[in-house]
Amino acid sequence: MNRLVQDIKFALRQLRKSPGFTITAIVTLALGIGANAAIFTLVHAVLLKNLPVSDPKLLVRVGDTDDCCVEGGVPDQRDYSIFAFELYQHLRENTPEFESLAAMQAGVGYAGVTARSNKPGDLPRAERGEVVTGNYFQVLGLQPYAGRLILPSDDVQGAPMGVVMSYQAWQRDYASDPSVVGSTFVLNTYPVTILGITPPSFYGDRMTSAPPDFYIPMVMEPNFGPGNPTSLLHRRDANWLYLLGKIKPGTDLKQLEAKMSASLRNYLATLPLYQRQDRQADLAGAHVVLTPGGAGIENMQQEYGVGLKMLITVSALVLLIACANIANLMLVRGMARRAETSIRMALGAQRARLIRQMLTESVVLSCLGGLAGLLVAYAGTKVLLAMAFPHAQSLPIEATPSLVVLGFAFALSLLTGLIFGVAPAWVTSHSQPADALRGSNRTTSDRSGWLQRSLVILQAALSLILLVGAGLMAKSLSKLENQDFGVVTQNRVVVHFSPESAGYKQEQLQGLYDKIINDLHALPGVDKAALSLYTPLEGNNWGEGVYIQGRPEPGAQAKNGASWLRVGPEYFDIVGHRVLRGRGITAQDTATSLPVVVVNEAFVKKFFSNGENPLGAHFGISGMESVGDWEIVGVVSDIKYNDLRRPTRAMYFRPLLQVAHTKSQTDTRSLYAGAIMLTTKGQVGNLESQVRRTLANINPNLTVVDYNTFEAQVRGQFDQERMIARLTLMFSLLALMLAAVGLYGVTAYSVARRTPEIGVRMALGAGRGNVVAMVMREAMLQAIIGLAIGIPAAWLCVRLVQSQLYNVGGHDAMVMTGSVLVLTIAALLAGLIPAQRAASTDPVKALRTE
Amino acid sequence: MIDLRNVERSYRAGGTETWVLRRISLTIQPWEFVTIMGPSGAGKSSLLNVLAMLDDQWKGEFDFDGVAVHRLNRKQRADLARQKIGMVFQSYHLLDDMTVAENIDLPLSYKDIPRSERQAMVADTLDRFQIVAKKDLYPHQLSGGQQQLVGIARAMIHKPALLLADEPTGNLHSKQAQEIMEMFRQLNQEGTTIVQVTHSETNAAYGTRIIELRDGWVHSDTAGTAQPPLQEVRS
Repeated sequence: MNRLVQDIKFALRQLRKSPGFTITAIVTLALGIGANAAIFTLVHAVLLKNLPVSDPKLLVRVGDTDDCCVEGGVPDQRDYSIFAFELYQHLRENTPEFESLAAMQAGVGYAGVTARSNKPGDLPRAERGEVVTGNYFQVLGLQPYAGRLILPSDDVQGAPMGVVMSYQAWQRDYASDPSVVGSTFVLNTYPVTILGITPPSFYGDRMTSAPPDFYIPMVMEPNFGPGNPTSLLHRRDANWLYLLGKIKPGTDLKQLEAKMSASLRNYLATLPLYQRQDRQADLAGAHVVLTPGGAGIENMQQEYGVGLKMLITVSALVLLIACANIANLMLVRGMARRAETSIRMALGAQRARLIRQMLTESVVLSCLGGLAGLLVAYAGTKVLLAMAFPHAQSLPIEATPSLVVLGFAFALSLLTGLIFGVAPAWVTSHSQPADALRGSNRTTSDRSGWLQRSLVILQAALSLILLVGAGLMAKSLSKLENQDFGVVTQNRVVVHFSPESAGYKQEQLQGLYDKIINDLHALPGVDKAALSLYTPLEGNNWGEGVYIQGRPEPGAQAKNGASWLRVGPEYFDIVGHRVLRGRGITAQDTATSLPVVVVNEAFVKKFFSNGENPLGAHFGISGMESVGDWEIVGVVSDIKYNDLRRPTRAMYFRPLLQVAHTKSQTDTRSLYAGAIMLTTKGQVGNLESQVRRTLANINPNLTVVDYNTFEAQVRGQFDQERMIARLTLMFSLLALMLAAVGLYGVTAYSVARRTPEIGVRMALGAGRGNVVAMVMREAMLQAIIGLAIGIPAAWLCVRLVQSQLYNVGGHDAMVMTGSVLVLTIAALLAGLIPAQRAASTDPVKALRTE
Repeated sequence: MIDLRNVERSYRAGGTETWVLRRISLTIQPWEFVTIMGPSGAGKSSLLNVLAMLDDQWKGEFDFDGVAVHRLNRKQRADLARQKIGMVFQSYHLLDDMTVAENIDLPLSYKDIPRSERQAMVADTLDRFQIVAKKDLYPHQLSGGQQQLVGIARAMIHKPALLLADEPTGNLHSKQAQEIMEMFRQLNQEGTTIVQVTHSETNAAYGTRIIELRDGWVHSDTAGTAQPPLQEVRS
């Protein structure tokens, strides 16, 4: 121990003696370790962190996909991850292996709840509510921060209406007012009691940038759930719940999975969908997959997992390049300290002792780098979070390094110190003491040379891989962003709101919509205004199977799906749909007029591929009996609404308030518009507050859930791609810089070491050009070998990112050529400076140093 | 061949200017074998560097084979030196990662000479200096005398008119030193002008003329052209 302290003291003294080296090394390490720690903060929070619950290991999720939010029909791969309430009850009752199995609303989207406290003068707020079963908090094993949490007894018919508020909402919106607990709030026009506050660390059952503000018992779903103001609670054909349970210790999960799959099939067999002959294969294949539930519902993990894993790989490569740089610096230092090492050896020091001393120095250095890296990590994480979640309100990820992140940074520092320290320590400790003591520097080669050059070659190869990756990502992002979505975004505004949360009944909607549109039209600067169920590129999608009149019934495997939404009269003009044939939706398309639809070009291509005239054709979505429900009266141009990487989906547009003739009871949820779109004449000052005021004047409960420009909404679709592309580019440039510095360092060292040789050469007639060429040849040789290794390696590595690319081949010759060019230029520049210096060698002085 | 007029060289260290060559004026004819002697710090090596055109910080006038060196720029001086001068060093300055043949070829590699011609010249030189058997060896595999022999061969390969040698036998024992000096004498008799710097009276005896330097001044010159030093207070 004493010896270790002595070694550390000596290491610190040595580092203090060479401030230039120490600062360079610490900055390089800080960048490398900081970048890794920042990415790790995100990886830990998103991919590795468990819910802050009592026993996460016992939590099991029934399901493994991010299916959302209300789904019907047969799921992809017949894999059930989202369930109807009755199906949940069926599974719960047939699986005693669960101590308790809870259900929670899958989609906590724009349509939340409107909440008003009982404080005089308090205005209603748009908040997010999640419907959960009464045993939800018991399954998670949570204790309230204040008051109490929801109990099963709160989730029965006739129980007093009570909800739980999240700690974050309590802090953010109600200033941590203790009197909130037990008080009566008005939620969606219903008086409810605030039962308690969740513990501060709890952010819901899943990682999300907008966690729920209220937890609402399932029994209140008809008033607060996603089906509000109708209900999904007892709809057997609508799947809208995630299941998370606490298993009894010792339960065999494989057996339980098989048992639950069988139980699922028993239930599904009672549904009309699965009673059809052509659905028997689907029924036989229906199953559930049980997954660990400690981290909750891992939708964000699925969304960000691949990107984050890629980023951590990229940042690890950057660190590796940084390590190679420091190793090179250490080698140079080691060479310079050969005499000291030799004296120690001559005085009886063992090699192991010398290696330990040098390793101590490396580790002390890397720990100092790690400490500085924490500062970089803190700032880096803030930037990362802003890039990844630009609109997050209560993101449960802290930029301040947690204990885990601190541990990670420390472990990384130790590892880094060992990686970059071990080779120099070994090489230096194996110098010949007699040579070193003689001060023999005649030799033009030394044992560290090959190692230094290998490290530079490694850096060049890794940098090329990163440059190619960054080039591909940037090109993919550019193609994604610059593709023609079909939309017009200039001077467009999207306002999300929730008339159902404001308590409107179906029969009141026509009047409300007319009033909203009229009042918004009256605002100065507003040109057009339209309501719609949702808007392009906001992440929402409603879809059903289409049944066309005069065609045979589609089979179970038929691809007859199409997306749809309801829109108001000026909607097409606002978003950029051009009417190509027939007409658009007009003010005359009311609840009582002939039910019509307008379809997009993709719809015509999909369902009228033989050149039939779509105008006048009829179709429906509730089986063959519904084929006469709607008449196609127009065709509009395509616009991408959802998956930007795939072709535009077949879509149809319905008037706001027309209800399908067939199964009309299932068609009323969509009558509640979720968005208002506006076109303005140029920039309008204070438009947001004017819109908020206009809605509040109509009804104070008409709160704005979200206000955004259409342009920002579209741009927001690329947040993740942009973050990955920017970070990859940033990391690759950092890597390039480190590699260039590495090459510069090795070349400069080589020039310094070869000064006498250069002097001899010049004395024998070598000109400046000869010397520059000699130095550059050596520098470029390393870069070329790096390229020779890097090109095939990059060729292989791009396979790993292929899935992240859009319309860019993994083997893009332009990106590869560009990357090779950039690296070559960097190498030329890095080599040129020492080459110039070599050419300026004064042969007289050089020969004198001999 | 060489005509120096009032050549001076000084080094500035801190605020002090130290003179290493003072008003050197001397003429060296072709075929001469000149020995420069003097105590340490007398300016011998500095004078040699001026003659080798490795140093271009001196003042005065220097004519070489009728060319006014003092009017040439650095590149022109280097070109002239490349053509006319060969250098032999006390510590040989062979490049350790090159073979004997490659070391000898080095000066030719800086000239526009076709490879085949260079190979022939190297072969001739190896033969002339009787080191053919050593051509593939590396310097560390040779004795000191052998290394200096290679150094001389390297200096002579391009048939320079002037051979400059700075303490060529300083690292050799007497037998080896004698062999090297015999070699110099032979080269001189074959027409090469030689200027050597040495401390050794024995080596000096091989030459035809001795110039003695003291404190940067020409103290004596057996050719009788030396000027007596002026009394001067040096800063």
